[in-house]
Amino acid sequence: MEWTKQLGRYIIVMLLQVLLFNQLQLLGVCHPYIYVLCLLMMPITLPHSADMAIGAIAGLIMDIFCNSLGIHTASCILLMFLRPYILGTLVNDKDRLNEQITLHVLGMETMLKYVTILVLIHHLSVFLLAAWSWAHIGFVLLETLVSSIVTIIVIIVYNALKYK
Amino acid sequence: MQNLLKILLRYSNFLVFITLEVAAFLLISYNNAYPRSSFFSTANNFIAWQHEQMSEISGYFSLRYQNEQLAEENAALRNQIYMQDSTLTGSSYHCMAAKVVQMTTDEMHNYLTINRGNKDGIERGQGIRNKDGVVGIVRTVGRNYSVVIPIINTYTNLSCRFSKNDYIGTLQWDGKDIRFAQLTDVAAHMVVNPGDTIVTSGLSPVFPEGIPVGIVENSELKEGASYYTIRVRLHTNFKRLKYVEVVQNANQHELEELTNGVD
Repeated sequence: MEWTKQLGRYIIVMLLQVLLFNQLQLLGVCHPYIYVLCLLMMPITLPHSADMAIGAIAGLIMDIFCNSLGIHTASCILLMFLRPYILGTLVNDKDRLNEQITLHVLGMETMLKYVTILVLIHHLSVFLLAAWSWAHIGFVLLETLVSSIVTIIVIIVYNALKYK
Repeated sequence: MQNLLKILLRYSNFLVFITLEVAAFLLISYNNAYPRSSFFSTANNFIAWQHEQMSEISGYFSLRYQNEQLAEENAALRNQIYMQDSTLTGSSYHCMAAKVVQMTTDEMHNYLTINRGNKDGIERGQGIRNKDGVVGIVRTVGRNYSVVIPIINTYTNLSCRFSKNDYIGTLQWDGKDIRFAQLTDVAAHMVVNPGDTIVTSGLSPVFPEGIPVGIVENSELKEGASYYTIRVRLHTNFKRLKYVEVVQNANQHELEELTNGVD
C-alpha cells in the first residue's frame, strides 16, 4: 500500500475518532483511541527513528483535538518505539513485515497478540498521563481495559472486513 | 572519542526515543502548569477555533439530549405558570415532559405512544399537549408507556371555545387531512371570521382553559342550517411530533366522580 493511501486512511480514521469515538460517554470509562490503527498497520520499512517521528506527529495532532498537549504525543512515541521489538519477538519471518501489517499477513493469533499488547500499553500510557498521579490507578486500569477492548475489536474487525 | 561516537550510533534509536519523549513530557508539564501561556497562545487559538468548529459538528450528535433537557425545562416552566393560575382559579394542573416513541398519522383512528406510564403517574384521561397546542388524551396506560388518542382521530371530541368571545364548540376530526379539524355545535347567530383563535374551554377536567388548538381556516353556513361547519387549522404539526407534555390535573378524580354522580 502506497503512503498516499496510508495518509487517506489516517484522515478517515481521525474523522471517525474525533466525530464518533471521542463523543462516546459510556459511564466515563470508555475512551477508545482507534487512531492507533494507522500506526499499528504501518509497514516496517522506514528507519526506526522516522517511525517514532511519525508517531510523535500523529500523537500531536490527536492532542490538538483532545486539548491534551503532549499526552498522546508521548504515548504514540512509546508505541512506535516498542513496535519493532514486539513484532520481532512475535514474527520470525522478517520479510513479511515489509508490507503493511494486517490480519492477513500475520494470522489471527499473532495479530491479536501484537494489537493487544501495543494497544494496552498505549491506552495505559494515555490514561496514566492524563490522570497525572497514582491516586486513581484503579479507575485508570478499568478505563484502559474497557477502552482497549473496544479499540482492539475495531482494529480486528476493520482488518477482517478489509483484507479477506 | 571514536568509542563515544560508536556508542551514540549504536543507541541512536534509543536516544531519538528519549529526546522525543522528553520533548513530549515538557509539553505535558508546560500544559499542566501554564495552560494559557503566551508561548502556546497561537496554538491555543487554533485549538479554540478547532473546538468551536468541532462543537458545531458534534452539536448535532447531542441534539437529542439537548432536546430532552429543553422539553423538561419547558414542562417545569409551564408548571410554574399553572401554579400561578391555580392560586387565582383554584385549579391544579401539573406538567411532565414525554417523548413520542411511535405514531400513526395516515389512518382514521390514529394513535401515538409516549414513553411515560403508570410508574410516572400517568392515568387514563390525562391531556397531552406540546409547545404549539393540544395533542390528545391518554387512552391506555402501561407500566412504562402509554397510548394517546390524538385529536386527529375520529373518536375525538374536544370541548373548545373562541378566545375572542368564549363561545363554546366541539372539536372533531373527519379523518381526511391531519392539518385540519372541524369545530361543530357553533350556532348560526355567531359571527365567525377566518383567523379566529380556538383554545381549550376548560370545561372538561382534561385540559386547563386556554391551551391553543388552532385558528379558523374557513366557515360555512349551509342554507337553513342552524350550526356552522367550521374548518380549523391545527397548531400542532403531527407529522413532526417528537416531544410532548402530559397535563395532569390533581382534581381529576374528584371532578369525574362528581360528574358521574350527576348521571
